[in-house]
Amino acid sequence: MPEKMNDTKPVRYIQINESLCNGCVLCMKACPTKAIRVREGKARIEGVCIDCCECVRVCPRGAVQAITSGRLDPTDKDHIIVSPSTVLYSQFGDDVLPNDVLLGLKRMGFGYIHDQSYTSEIFNLAVELYIKENRDRSDAPLPFISPVCPVVVSLIAYRFQSLLNHIPPLVTPREIVAREGKLRMAARHGKNGEAFKVVHITPCPSKMICMKESILQEHSYLDAAVGINAIYEELKRNIQDVEDDIVLHHSGGIGLSWGMSGGEISGVDLNCLAVSGLQETIRYLEKIEMGLLSNIEYVEFRACTEGCLGGSFTVMDKYQAKRYLQKLIRMFGVERRVKYGYVKKLYEKGWFFTDKAVASTPEVTHLSSADIAKGIERLKRIEGILNLLPRKECGACGCPDCETFAEDVADGRTTLDQCVFWKDQERKWDMRP
Amino acid sequence: MVRGHMAEVSKRFIIKARDFVRAGEGSIQVQGLLKSIGYGPELIRRISICAYEAEMNVVMHGGDGELLVMIEPERIVLEVSDDGPGIQDIELALQEGYSTATPEHREMGFGAGMGLPNIKKNADTLDIQSGNGEGTHLTIGFTLNPG
Repeated sequence: MPEKMNDTKPVRYIQINESLCNGCVLCMKACPTKAIRVREGKARIEGVCIDCCECVRVCPRGAVQAITSGRLDPTDKDHIIVSPSTVLYSQFGDDVLPNDVLLGLKRMGFGYIHDQSYTSEIFNLAVELYIKENRDRSDAPLPFISPVCPVVVSLIAYRFQSLLNHIPPLVTPREIVAREGKLRMAARHGKNGEAFKVVHITPCPSKMICMKESILQEHSYLDAAVGINAIYEELKRNIQDVEDDIVLHHSGGIGLSWGMSGGEISGVDLNCLAVSGLQETIRYLEKIEMGLLSNIEYVEFRACTEGCLGGSFTVMDKYQAKRYLQKLIRMFGVERRVKYGYVKKLYEKGWFFTDKAVASTPEVTHLSSADIAKGIERLKRIEGILNLLPRKECGACGCPDCETFAEDVADGRTTLDQCVFWKDQERKWDMRP
Repeated sequence: MVRGHMAEVSKRFIIKARDFVRAGEGSIQVQGLLKSIGYGPELIRRISICAYEAEMNVVMHGGDGELLVMIEPERIVLEVSDDGPGIQDIELALQEGYSTATPEHREMGFGAGMGLPNIKKNADTLDIQSGNGEGTHLTIGFTLNPG
């Protein structure tokens, strides 16, 4: 999609530190949207970034960094609501319970701590209600796709637009917690809810994009996102010897399991499927786009392998974190703690619905045949250039693969002589594929 | 038929009988090709469904075969042919739920008898040439009506 190269986002949450970058091709090769190029010896993000962090993970020099709101602002703690991702509970090892983690945050000086795992259990029922209400429509977009992972939502918006209407127009648990937290504070203190800031403790930077330019909502109730790794040491010190007996954590094992792949659907009583990891997610989205999997009602996609506990801001190894989470789930049990009738009432009041129609029909751009003819001409040029290339897929030209290089040449973003094999051929070297 | 001077771009993909691992690759490639040209998502969805169903039919029932996509601004044609046993009764094969899939196919989640009916539903034109022992040749056409 050539035109996409230009409509880049105004703010990026992944940045490349040029002084650390040595211009190797690892991040460029890892990028699922082929957004990275290496120019003049430095990697640059030029295309559409979906904040998946694959580049962050593969960079051996730490040159690719994910941006967040930074650290927790310690100055105005009375007006801050801290709402950690469920993943946080899995980061401290065997003897630390979710409530201890929340109390640790309280000991850091934050007055208002809101657990997400209970709201996640409520959300499970909302998904059930929505799908039961909509699955029998003749045009039901099956399978429905979870709105929870922002990277997956971005991926769909960028590469799989025809699947946008598979995402139910439901507000995610992290947003519900933020919205309700503000409302409760406003009621309690007689102030405007906006006087309070909601800080999400996040396992990945993709929440930044939700706050600033959400695809699913007009307005986000989150005000800041801080990485788990940014507060980890301080929180760990504060968790030790917590003796308060305030109960801040209310969920059972279902809510806790949200941190790992398969956790969201574990609380949904429908025909569900969980897929994690970016490459697998893309493969399954391709299948759904071809009309497959319509026997499934709901798919939980997580861009990170093993789910959110594989996020790039986590501290504990994802398999160790999973082991500990599973222990917690056994401890808390998997029966539903949420009352169906209560959630149904909220659902009927519209409590769960977003303020934005998520492209209920995919954006149909009626292209004129002139546009299509142009697209075909471009494709022919690309094919012609590809035929000149050796298909070594080396990346030395600064493009992730030969096909992308051919596209860039066709669109005038680079020149054929950037291909080292093409230069070789000019010197009459063998360049047969 | 799009062949001749109007067939601006065409691409051919090989389909191997019983190769369930690579099955669907051709359809994914077709999907990518159409996206890169800039066709709308709804048309691409219909074309990919047909390409995939036809490809799977070859993998399951046909011998070896090929998927050929021919693209021109206002018309896209898929030609899917194989040298397999052919369809004995085309009328019957077009009925939803009619299937000659083996238990093995069903175990893999295929063989619901929706292949050809699904193609017919999503295509603008469908021509089936097949006979006992003569292989099968599908011509699946899509017309683009720019708004």
